[in-house]
Amino acid sequence: MKCVILAAGEGKRMHPLTFTRPKVMLPIGNKPLLEWNLLNAIDAGIKEFIFVVGYKSEMVRNYFGDGEKWNVKIEYVNQGEPLGTAHAISVVEKFVKDFIVICGDTIFGKEDFKNIVKTKDCMGLVKVENASEYGIVELDEENVVKIYEKIDEPFTNIINGGIYHFSSKIFSYIRKTKKSLRGEFEITDSINMMVKYTKLRGIFLKNWRDVVYPWHLLDANEEILKKINKKIDGTFEKNTAIKGKIIVGKNSKILSGSYIEGPVVIGENCKIGPNCYIRPYTSIGNNCHIGNACEVKNSIILNNSNVPHQNYVGDSVIGENCNLGAGTKVANLRLDKGNIKVVLNGKKLDTKRRKLGMILGDNVQTGINSMMNVGAIIGNNVFIGPGSIANGEIESESKIL
Amino acid sequence: MCGIIGYVGFRDANKVLIDSLKRLEYRGYDSAGVSVIDKKQQLFKDVGEIDVFRKNLPNFKGDIGIGHTRWATHGGVTKDNAHPHLSSNKKIAVVHNGIIENYSKLRDNLKNKGYNFLSQTDSEVIAHLIEDNYKGNLEKAVFQALKKVNGYYALVVTCTDEPEKIVGARKDSPLVIGVGDNENFLASDITAFLKYTNRVIYLNDGETCVISKKDIILLDENNKPIEREENIINWELKDAEKSGFPHFMLKEIYDQSETVHHVIRGRISEIDRTIEFNENVEILLKNGIDSIDIVACGTSYYSGLVGKYLIEKLTGIPVNVELSSEYRYFGTRNESSLVIGVTQSGETLDTLAALREAKSSGCKILVITNVIGSTATRISDAYILTQSGPEIGVAATKTFTSQNLVLFLLALKIAKLKNKIGADELYKYILDLKELPRKVRQVLDQSSEIRDIAFQLKNSKSVFFIGRGINYPISLEGALKLKEISYVHAEGFAAGELKHGPFALLTKITPVIAIVTNDSTYDKMIANIGEVKARGPQVIAVAEENDTEIEKHADFVLRFPSNSNILSCIPIAILLQLLSYHVASLKGCSIDKPRNLAKSVTVE
Repeated sequence: MKCVILAAGEGKRMHPLTFTRPKVMLPIGNKPLLEWNLLNAIDAGIKEFIFVVGYKSEMVRNYFGDGEKWNVKIEYVNQGEPLGTAHAISVVEKFVKDFIVICGDTIFGKEDFKNIVKTKDCMGLVKVENASEYGIVELDEENVVKIYEKIDEPFTNIINGGIYHFSSKIFSYIRKTKKSLRGEFEITDSINMMVKYTKLRGIFLKNWRDVVYPWHLLDANEEILKKINKKIDGTFEKNTAIKGKIIVGKNSKILSGSYIEGPVVIGENCKIGPNCYIRPYTSIGNNCHIGNACEVKNSIILNNSNVPHQNYVGDSVIGENCNLGAGTKVANLRLDKGNIKVVLNGKKLDTKRRKLGMILGDNVQTGINSMMNVGAIIGNNVFIGPGSIANGEIESESKIL
Repeated sequence: MCGIIGYVGFRDANKVLIDSLKRLEYRGYDSAGVSVIDKKQQLFKDVGEIDVFRKNLPNFKGDIGIGHTRWATHGGVTKDNAHPHLSSNKKIAVVHNGIIENYSKLRDNLKNKGYNFLSQTDSEVIAHLIEDNYKGNLEKAVFQALKKVNGYYALVVTCTDEPEKIVGARKDSPLVIGVGDNENFLASDITAFLKYTNRVIYLNDGETCVISKKDIILLDENNKPIEREENIINWELKDAEKSGFPHFMLKEIYDQSETVHHVIRGRISEIDRTIEFNENVEILLKNGIDSIDIVACGTSYYSGLVGKYLIEKLTGIPVNVELSSEYRYFGTRNESSLVIGVTQSGETLDTLAALREAKSSGCKILVITNVIGSTATRISDAYILTQSGPEIGVAATKTFTSQNLVLFLLALKIAKLKNKIGADELYKYILDLKELPRKVRQVLDQSSEIRDIAFQLKNSKSVFFIGRGINYPISLEGALKLKEISYVHAEGFAAGELKHGPFALLTKITPVIAIVTNDSTYDKMIANIGEVKARGPQVIAVAEENDTEIEKHADFVLRFPSNSNILSCIPIAILLQLLSYHVASLKGCSIDKPRNLAKSVTVE
């Protein structure tokens, strides 16, 4: 059984983080999103994978190689151009017969992989509270009747989970699939044609987490960190306080006065402290520094970034090679306690979160005592001057003085 | 500037090839073709638009094939002359860029052996030659065939007896391998396959490669396997047409390290120490020439002025350079004069009118242009192509230097015909021409230093360019480039003329760019710089790399490689192009499409 993982997408809704990496390489608990799916699929007994790659494919290939590290076989197929999910699946036609396909930007649990693998011709379904953001699925008992694109007032709360078990029959329907209204070849259109002739069973998924916008990384991070086991490869000075489960990578040093409340993951070659406070659901990459009088809470910090002096970082994502100036603080809660709204790619969005700090791209530098407002989304190579306030969406390469 | 693509993998080769040809469209083409293997070679070629080609292309099955877009440099634009070319047994298909210099000899040999030729191209020779050497292994046959070939090539070959592999080889023409998963590519240009992979392996001169679905084998010039790391290309698809450069103009400036070579390709013979043009040109020149009129507009006019200097110096024949728009109404026509029209596009209306005027007065017409089949080539008695490839930036760059070089070759040819120079002197010039790409690269490598100087100019209201001799027209062209793309007022002057008027305009805030070469004008130029300095402006000297004296006189110095002959005007012109580019880029101007200007001026 081969597992095809669709990993070609750029993930425009993940800007600025996906300017420099494909969506599937976004880190959660210090591992790329794609690796969590790989690990869960391996746990479910799958040994052969095909990654359909495209955008910045070299990063995927460099990280996963031929799969030897995981004792599995990984093959790559380049999608060529991003023409939609049906097109992405069509490129593997010559490599598969009976196979499962997953969308690479959703994390599926081990049990779900098992259930999908053992049921021929099926797709994963999820029950959600508000289905208006998703493609919804009409069922006749347990078989799929039709998949609808997003509709404003959905008649059901059952949605398409983005995992399928197909036979090579699907390819004849993919060939007949026409471009959808949004200009893509969509696998849901191919499925709608197929279910008229072949039964496709709906299987409800138990563990399902889709990651669409940058703040969803924080949710996924929280979920994954809840399951970690303690593993310490680094060293501790005297007078550090550790609560709960934490992971500390090789050559990392936890200095005196650090107070860490797990679950927290710290990468390799980090310097934590002295005198800092790291709160639950925080992932810190490799070669990072969290310095004196800094508090970090529920955040993801990518490799080579520093939160060095008198900083507060809450509910935020910090890209690679960033440096916060002394006293840079992040607001993560509106005074009126309302939902935090952001502007992403010029579009205003309600994050439905009460708490959200900033989303920082790569190579951002902030000056002393600069302030980052709730929901600030800051592009790559941005320069925030001393004492400046960063608000809303700030384009890459900008200088805020 | 033809485009090559080869594909082997799991996709429909037909679709990949046509996609890639479409990507190569921007480089210009007049005909195209593909061949896809499905037991036999399925071949389709046609003249004209790629979109029409796509519509008419039969639905060939197969996952291995090669394709080509042709931009004719010799041999007419016909279906037969389009690539791929098949061998006589129809098993081997070849696409080729470049020139096979000894093709007529090879062709005669092969014809005697019974091989059947369908086209007039030199490329077809390769297909038959490979068949002649084929003994069951394609790469060996290609290797053996190329041993017999003199010339330049990038070629891609398939054979129905080995339908899993494509063989590529290059010498002096680009060819690059695109490394995919379960598929591989060979192309003249990364753009052709960038959609499918951004991993590339560059092929070096003299090397051969064999690609199949899963494997890539590189062979050196002795046919021994070699290893090479792949490179990752970080361009976005939209940048790829510019080869990763921010503007076409900058790409075209950098292209010059190759175009200064392309222009001499197939035209100089080191062994025979001769310059050769096509038959019509040869006939025209052998008739004997007493005087020459050059007609042109804009940058081409300045190239004409460079040509005047070169032809007069080397041949002693008087040359009169006229602006086309003036010549057509006011020039004197002497029917014994050779009239040379210089036009990049071959469609410049003023120049066409001037040429028609000259023709009706009984003059013989020679055209120097970049576009085969253009109106200028059709109304002329003979034409010489600059072979620079399409120029997309409105400001002429690579075509200017190529026009100068064509005029230089022409001057050498006439001088040789008139016995003004001997074989040894000609050989010396040929060696200088061969050195030129290296000198051009030396100038291009200084881009960041030139950018530093551009900061000095970006806020100027007015800039002067001065030079003497051949560098006077180069000054005019330098000023034109600055005007065109950065909207800074600029004037070029013969250095000796400053005191006859222009001095009145000099102020502290008028930078002067002085071209200083180590020749008989050196002391005079130093004196001119002194005169300028006395009036307050900053002087930026463009001087030879070994000139230490100049630093005492100028405020800033930009260097070009020492080359104490007339060809140094080429590196200098490129240096000034880069300077204008950087000024415009610092000012944020629309570099590829300056306001109010069009690439090809087809109105009066």
